[in-house]
Amino acid sequence: MKKTALYPSHIDLGAKLAEFGGYKMPIQYSNLKQEVLAVRNSVGMFDVGHMGEFFIKGAEAIKFVDFLLTNDFSAAAVNKAVYSPLCREDGSVIDDLIAYKLAEDFVMLCVNAANIEKDWNWIVSKKEGFQVELTNKSEDYSLIAVQGPKSLAALKEAESALEDIPYYSLQIKENGQTPIIFARTGYTGEDGFEIFGPAAYVMGLWSKLLKSDVTPCGLGARDVLRLEVCFPLYGQEIDDQTTPLESGLKWTVKFSKPDFIGKAALEKSSPRFLNLKLVLDKGIPRKGYDVVDQDGNSVGKVTSGSLSVILEKGVAMARVEKAKYNSSLELFVNIRGKNYRAKRHKGPFVNGGHK
Amino acid sequence: MSKIPENLLYTEEHEWISIEGDVATIGITDFAQSSLGDIVFVELPEIETAFDTGDSFGVVESIKSVSDLYTPLAGSVLEKNEEVEESPEKLNENAFGSWLVKLKMKDPSQVENLMDAKKYENFCANNS
Repeated sequence: MKKTALYPSHIDLGAKLAEFGGYKMPIQYSNLKQEVLAVRNSVGMFDVGHMGEFFIKGAEAIKFVDFLLTNDFSAAAVNKAVYSPLCREDGSVIDDLIAYKLAEDFVMLCVNAANIEKDWNWIVSKKEGFQVELTNKSEDYSLIAVQGPKSLAALKEAESALEDIPYYSLQIKENGQTPIIFARTGYTGEDGFEIFGPAAYVMGLWSKLLKSDVTPCGLGARDVLRLEVCFPLYGQEIDDQTTPLESGLKWTVKFSKPDFIGKAALEKSSPRFLNLKLVLDKGIPRKGYDVVDQDGNSVGKVTSGSLSVILEKGVAMARVEKAKYNSSLELFVNIRGKNYRAKRHKGPFVNGGHK
Repeated sequence: MSKIPENLLYTEEHEWISIEGDVATIGITDFAQSSLGDIVFVELPEIETAFDTGDSFGVVESIKSVSDLYTPLAGSVLEKNEEVEESPEKLNENAFGSWLVKLKMKDPSQVENLMDAKKYENFCANNS
C-alpha cells in the first residue's frame, strides 16, 4: 500500500490509519468531534496527498479541459478554480474534480485518489486533435488542506508570501518543475486553502502549522464536514452508473456552453434519481440503509449518513428513485428493521463560513 | 487507559462479563470504548429476548461507525441499562462501570470459554 510523504508525522502523532484510495491514510488523530469543531470554529489541517494532480499544457489546454468537463471552464479567469464532474459520452460520471487555471495555456486537475488511473486513461484517450501536453504528477505532489475561519491567519504566519485571495482562486508561489500552488478551495464548506507542492515544501509547512497549534484532522472528520455541507463524495452520491443530473449536480452542467463530452446524452436524458437531504430526530442513518415512505414502499437508499457534530442529529444524503418517490408522503430511514422519521432538508445541513 | 479489573471475565470482542449465579452482566471494555471514540447511540434488546452464543444483541454507534454487540453466552435478557441508552457517553466515561444487559444464562458452563483478566490483557497486547 502507498504512503504519503507525511506518513511519518501521522505515526508520530499516533493517528489511526486505514486504507483509502490505495493509500494508508490518517482517519483520526485524537478525537473526531474535536477535529470537526476545530475546522468549524478555528483551524484544522488534513493530509490529502493521496489525491491526483494532472497538468495540461499547450495552446489548446483550456479548450481541451472545457471539452472534458460539464461545467464552464473557459469562462473562468486565470487563477480561478472550477468544480466539475468529468463525464462519459453517455453522461455517466467518471469522477468529480477541481480544475485550476494556472495560465491561459496551463491547467491543473485535482482528482480523487481512487480514480487516478481511470481518469488519466480517459483524458489521454480524448486528447487527439488538441494541441496539449499531458503530465500525471500525482506521485510528485504532496497536498494538504488547511481549513477553518482561522486558516488564513495560521497560514500567513507560516508562509508570508500568501495573499488574501478570493474563494475558489489560486496563487502560484513558485514556478518550477513542481510549482507550489495555494488554492482557496476545500472540502469542508469553511474558508480554507489547499496547498499543492513538492514533498519537502509541504512537509515543512505541515510541521510549522503543527507548531502553531493547527489541529491535524483525519479523513473521518473530513467526511463528516463535507456531509454537513452536502458536498457529494465519488462512489457514494456520484458514480459510474449515474449522471450529474441525478446526483444534485445540475448546477455543474452548463448546456449553454459549446459541445462537451456527455452533452447530447445529458440533454436528452430524463433523470431516474433525485438526491435528497434528510435529517432524523432519532437514529443515525448510514450508507446503504433503505429510505421508505409512509406507505412502507422502499423508495431509495442512503448514500452518506452520519451524526452531524454541529446539529447533533442524524443527517443523510439519499438517492431516491423518481418513479417510486412521492414528495407528499412522509419519509423514514429503516435502521436495523425499525423506521425512523426523516425530514427533508433544503440546502446544506450546516452553513460553512466560506466566502 | 484504565486498568483491566481482575474480578471480571472477558471476550475477544472486548466485552466484560460479571457472573452471579446464573446471571451474566455484560458490558464493553475500556479498550472497546477507546477504539470506538465518542459513543453517541446505544441500542439494547427488549427484556426476555433470547440469544444464542455469538448473536448480536445490540449496537453501539460512534459518529462514524456502527459496531455490533455479540453475546458470548446463550440466554435471555433480564434487564437492560436504560441509563446508558439515554446517555451513551457514560460508556466513554466509565466503561467498566456501565453495564449493558443482564442475561439469564441457558448454560452456565459456557463461562469456561471466557478469558480472565490476565489472558485478556495479553490478548489486547497482541492485537493492538
